[in-house]
Amino acid sequence: MKIVVLVKYVPEPTATWKFAPDLTIDRAGVEGRLSELDEYAVEQAAQLAEKGVASEVVFLTVGPAKAAEGLRKALAIGGSKAVHVLDDAIHGSCALSTSLVLAKALEKEGFDLVLTGMASTDAELSIVPSMVADRLGINQATFAGELSVDGTSVTIRRDTDVASERVSAALPAIVSVTDQTGEARYPAFKAIMGAKKKPITTWSLADLGVDAAQVGLEAASVRTLDVAPTPARAAGTIITDDGEGGAQLAGFLADRGFI
Amino acid sequence: MMIRFVLGLLMTVVCLGIAGRRLFFLYRLGKKFQPMEAERRLDAGPAVRAEIAEVAFQRKLLRWTVPGVAHFLVFWGFMVLLFTIVEAFVGLVQADFQLPVVGNFRWFGFFEDLFALLCVFALLVFTVLRIQQAPKNLGRRSRFFGSHIGPAWFVLFMIFNVVWTLLAYRGASINAQELHEPENADKMGFLHGAFASQWFASILPKSNLEFWETFFLLLSLGVLLGFTVFVTYSKHMHIFASIPNVAYARRPRALGALEPVYWQGKKVDFEDPGDDDVMGVGKIEDFTWKGLLDFATCTECGRCQSQCPAWNTDKPLSPKVLIMALRDHSLAKAPYLLAATGEDGERVTDGLAAAVVAEAERPLIGPEGDETAHVGEHGVTGEGVLPFDMLWSCTTCGACVEQCPVDIEHVDHILDMRRFQVLMESAFPEEAGIMLRNLEHAGDPWGLGGSMRLEWAESLDFEVRVHEGDKIPDDVDYLYWVGCAGALDDTAKRTARAVATLLHEAGVEFMVLGGAEACTGDPARRLGHEFLFQMLAMQNVETLNEAGAKRIVVTCAHCYNTLANEYPQLGGHYEVVHHTTLLARLVAEKKLTPVQRVDAAVTYHDPCYLGRHNRIFAAPREVLGSIPGTRVQEMPRNRERSFCCGAGGARMWMDENIGERINQNRADEALATAPDVVAAACPFCITMLSDGVAQRQQEGTASATVTVTDVAEVLLRSIRPDLVEDPVDAEAST
Repeated sequence: MKIVVLVKYVPEPTATWKFAPDLTIDRAGVEGRLSELDEYAVEQAAQLAEKGVASEVVFLTVGPAKAAEGLRKALAIGGSKAVHVLDDAIHGSCALSTSLVLAKALEKEGFDLVLTGMASTDAELSIVPSMVADRLGINQATFAGELSVDGTSVTIRRDTDVASERVSAALPAIVSVTDQTGEARYPAFKAIMGAKKKPITTWSLADLGVDAAQVGLEAASVRTLDVAPTPARAAGTIITDDGEGGAQLAGFLADRGFI
Repeated sequence: MMIRFVLGLLMTVVCLGIAGRRLFFLYRLGKKFQPMEAERRLDAGPAVRAEIAEVAFQRKLLRWTVPGVAHFLVFWGFMVLLFTIVEAFVGLVQADFQLPVVGNFRWFGFFEDLFALLCVFALLVFTVLRIQQAPKNLGRRSRFFGSHIGPAWFVLFMIFNVVWTLLAYRGASINAQELHEPENADKMGFLHGAFASQWFASILPKSNLEFWETFFLLLSLGVLLGFTVFVTYSKHMHIFASIPNVAYARRPRALGALEPVYWQGKKVDFEDPGDDDVMGVGKIEDFTWKGLLDFATCTECGRCQSQCPAWNTDKPLSPKVLIMALRDHSLAKAPYLLAATGEDGERVTDGLAAAVVAEAERPLIGPEGDETAHVGEHGVTGEGVLPFDMLWSCTTCGACVEQCPVDIEHVDHILDMRRFQVLMESAFPEEAGIMLRNLEHAGDPWGLGGSMRLEWAESLDFEVRVHEGDKIPDDVDYLYWVGCAGALDDTAKRTARAVATLLHEAGVEFMVLGGAEACTGDPARRLGHEFLFQMLAMQNVETLNEAGAKRIVVTCAHCYNTLANEYPQLGGHYEVVHHTTLLARLVAEKKLTPVQRVDAAVTYHDPCYLGRHNRIFAAPREVLGSIPGTRVQEMPRNRERSFCCGAGGARMWMDENIGERINQNRADEALATAPDVVAAACPFCITMLSDGVAQRQQEGTASATVTVTDVAEVLLRSIRPDLVEDPVDAEAST
C-alpha cells in the first residue's frame, strides 16, 4: 500500500512576518519550517511503514524553493522519497488552486492513502484535504485522532465536542490527522544525514498539465485587501476575591457569553 | 645468604611477572579504545606543575583536612619507605648494605622510621573514618556506599603489614649487624637512628640471628610483592595510574568548556561527517584510552558522590558508581575486545565464555523505564551497563570533577554518552524534545521567537540602543547579551532591566542585538545535541563577528560559559564579562555608588557555571558587600562546593520525578540561614530557588517576606530605590 503525505512548508509561526507589496508573506524575510501540524501526518505514515502496513511513503509539497527543507525534515522522520511541485506561477495561489495542483500531482504519483495535517499553521484553513478529495473523487475522513488501516479501508476516531465517532472509508481515501495521533519522533542525527540522500523529484506545472492561468495570485478566489499586525493584547482583568470573587468571575464569563 | 637470594629472586620474578602481565593486559585493552583527542597533548609545563601540586603536595586531597592529612602521610610514608624497600632488596645479596651518602647518617634512619610510624598513625585515622562513615551506618549518605568495602579494608591491612614487616626486618638486621660486626660500629649509621627498628630489635629473639634476618626480609618482601600484585588487580591501581592520569588531564580543569565531538581522535565535521563516524560514546570502547585510564584510576573514595546533587537527592546517579560500573564493564568485556577479528572484520566469539559474549552485547545505556535497573550498595544492575536515569540525572554541575583527587573527567564522559543517545539513537527524556524543537524553530527554549526579545526594555526610562546592520559604533563599550531568559522570562527580565539601568547610571554605553540574538546553544549541548549546538553557535558567532563585537557583558551564567569558553572553538573570540564582575568593577571605580541602606541579610548562591566552571566567586560577593546595610551570609555549601540548583545540564527542561527535588534541597539550605534575600547571578538558579522558597512559603515554614533575586537587583535597590519592582507573582507568570 502506498501512502502519500501532503506537507506544507510554512513561515515560522513565532517569527515576525513581513508582507510583500502584493500582500503575500515575504518568504525571503522569514524562516520557514515544516508545518508542525503536518509532522503528525508524517509520523503516522512512518509508523504505518514500520508496522508493514505501508510499502511506500512519499511526501508531496507545493511551495517555494526552500520548501525542499521541509521535505528533508519529513524524510528524516520516515519515507523513501519526496515530490516538490515548484513553479513561480503558483505564487499567491488560494486553497482552490493549491488543491488543483495537489490533485494533479497525486494523480501522477499514484496512491492508496493520502495523509495530511489537520490544517496549516499559516493559513489555518483545514479545507484543502476536502477539496483534494472532491477533485479526485475519493473518500475523505478528516480530523482523525487515531487511525488504523487494513488492506481495503481506513478507520479513524474523530473527536467532536459532543461525541467520539468511529468513521471508516474505503481506499483510496484522504485522511487529515490531529495532534491527538501523537508527537512526531525527534530524528537522530544519522536519520537527518540519511534524509539528505533520499531523492526529491521536482515537477513544474507543465509536468502536471496544469495551465498557469488556473493558479497564482491573479486566479485566486479570494483577494487580500489589507494586512496589519495583530494589536497587542490588552492587560487582563484581575478579580480580587473580597468575598464576591466567585460571583464577579461568573459575571465576567457570562458577559462574554462563555457561560 | 644463598637461600635468601634464591627465594627472594623467585618471589620477585613471580610477583612482578604477574603484575607485569596484568599491566600489559590493561595496556592492550587500552589500545582497543579510541585514540586520544588530537588537540589534547601532554604539555610538559602544566603536566609537571599538576604532578607537583596534585601528586606530590596532594592539593585536592588536602581540601578535606582529616582524610587529606592522613593520605598525605601514607603517600609520603610510602615515598620514604621506597628507600627502605631498596635497602631490603639489596639486602638480599649484601647484608650490610647502606644507601650511598645518606646511609651513614643516623638522622636518615630516624627519618625513615618516623615516616613509617606516621603511616601507621594515618592507617588508624583511616580505620576510624571507615568505621564512622560505614555504609552500614549511614546508608546512601556514606561516601563509601557502593565502593568495594572488603578490598578497602584489605588495603589498609596490607599497608600495615608492609610497614611492620619492613621495620621488623630492620630490627632483625640491627641484631645481626651488631653481633656479626661489633667492631664496625660506624658503619650502617642509619640503623642507629632507626628508633622503631631498634624497638623491634629489642623484642626479637637474640639467637639464630641470621635466620630471623632472612625470615623477616623474605616476609617483608613477600608482603610487599603480594600487595603489588593485588594493587594491579584492584581499585588501588591509583598508586600507579594517577600519575599518567593527572598528566593527561584537561587543564586547568575538566570544567567550563565542553570538548567538541571526536571520532578516531579527530573532530567530527557536522557539515560533512564521515559515513562511519560515531558521534559520542555508544559502546565502552568508544571512550578514549584516557577514559579507560580514568576508570582504572578511580579509588572509590566517594568524594564526588558526597557532593553530587543527584546522589544527595536520592537519584540513581553517583559519579563514583558510574565510573566503577564503566570499569567493571570494561574488564568484563575485555576478552571480547581482545579477541581476534575474522575476515569479515567481526570478532571471533567462538572461544569466549557465554558471560563475556552477553556482556559485549549489553547496551551501554539501559532503556527508559527498565524495572531491573538499580543502583545499590553492590553496584549497578539492569539491562544496560548504566541505567537510563543515571545518565539523565546529571546536572553537569561539576562538583565531582572539582573534588576528584585524581582528575577523573566524569562530566565529559557523561556528555559523550549523552551525545550518542541523542545524535545516534534519539533516546532521551521525551520532554526535553520540546526544548530542542523550540531552539530549532524559535531560537529560544520557550519557543517565543525573536520578535519578543525587546519587550523587556520597553518600560525603561531611557532608550536601549539596538544593533542593526552595521558594525557596532566605537562609542559602545559593551554589547549586552541579554540571553533568552533575560529577554523572555518575566523574572529574568527584571534582572535585565536592573543591569541595563545600572550600566546606564554608570555611564556605560551598551547595545543589544534584539531579535538577532538567539540561544547560545548551551541547553542543546548539555543535553548532548552537539549538532543543534553548532548550528546555533555558528549563527550567533556570525552575527557577533559581523557586528564586530569585542566586549560582551552577559547576565546568564550559562551564556557566559558558552560565549567565553566555547565560542572560541567555532571562531568567536570575544572579551566576555559577567555582569557581576562588571558591576563590582564599576563600584570599585566609584562609577556606581550604593548610597541607600538595604538592611537585609543576603545569602548568596554560587551558580555552578559562574563559580565552579568559571571561578567567579568574589565579584558577586563584592557587589553585595558594597551595599550599605547588607549582611552577606554563606550557606554551608558555598564557592567550590556550592550545591547545584538543579537546572544545569539541560535538567531545567526535563521532569524531575525521582527523589527529592534538587532546588528544594538547595532552597532549604538557603532558608536555614534565615535570609531576607537569597541572591544568585544566573536566571535559571533564580527560577529554581524561587520555586523552592515559594514551596516553603506556601507550606508556612518560610517567612513570606524572603525574596530570591539577582545580585544586580539588590544593588539597584541601593542605587535607584525608586525603580525597584514588585516581585513577579510566580503563580501568575507560569
